[in-house]
Amino acid sequence: MNAPSNPTSAAGEKQEQPMKHHCEHHAECMKMIQAILDGEASEGEKEHFRQNMDLCMPCIQTYQLEKCIKESLHSKVERRPCPQNLVATIKAKLNA
Amino acid sequence: MSEAPIKEGYTDDQRYEIFNREFMPHIDSMYNFAFRLTMDEDDANDLVQDTYLKSFRFISSFEQGTNAKAWLFRILKNSFINDYRKKSKQPSKVDYQEVETTYNSEEAADASYTVDLRADAVQDLIGDEVANALNSLPVDFRTVIILCDIEGFTYEEMAKILDIPIGTVRSRLHRARNLLKDKLKNYAGSMGYDA
Repeated sequence: MNAPSNPTSAAGEKQEQPMKHHCEHHAECMKMIQAILDGEASEGEKEHFRQNMDLCMPCIQTYQLEKCIKESLHSKVERRPCPQNLVATIKAKLNA
Repeated sequence: MSEAPIKEGYTDDQRYEIFNREFMPHIDSMYNFAFRLTMDEDDANDLVQDTYLKSFRFISSFEQGTNAKAWLFRILKNSFINDYRKKSKQPSKVDYQEVETTYNSEEAADASYTVDLRADAVQDLIGDEVANALNSLPVDFRTVIILCDIEGFTYEEMAKILDIPIGTVRSRLHRARNLLKDKLKNYAGSMGYDA
């Protein structure tokens, strides 16, 4: 993917370009992809992502991996509910 | 509670009402956060209890209608750092300052950092493996992932909870996720995936 800091291509229509198999801006792209998945990307970043996402294989794979990890953390990691006796203890101490 | 500061603005009834309406609904998330930080049920109990008692004592500094969950998480995080970590049965093996310095000094290496891990390998991991990978991270990196990916806080909320700038939230998350991928790769590798 092109550097996110260079949005010149964002305004133009997408042109036929060969799929890239090496990303020279990978760290920057990864930060942008994470911001998109976190719902924290700027409009410029989102537009850049839409324009370039399907042109760079390392970035496509990064997007899929980051999305999968985020979803796994949210859905697979067991949530520990608060024990009921702790709620009772806290309320008892407040009323003491 | 005799040492509680004199409240301003709220009557006793209001304090209890705010406590029950605004604070108590978050107790499951608070306990889960405490457990993920301490990795011990008894310590999580103590931490949540301390945090809730503090929140009641200092309820006058809570403004109704603002983000109660972030306010509570900030108290819990501070209690963990200031009180729990000092007396912990299992003190953090890695000092955060040391971690931050190490990673800041490796910014160049970090820029080209990639982990050869595939999404389908992560897809096949079970919850305990993902949890163990998360638990194996230094606590400050673990914290940002818990806040963002498990509790769903925004970067702005995380900045307030952690007392750090939003830019630092972003970079710390980035580093935490790289570390997590390394750990997940070990589990994926042990399952027979070649990457």
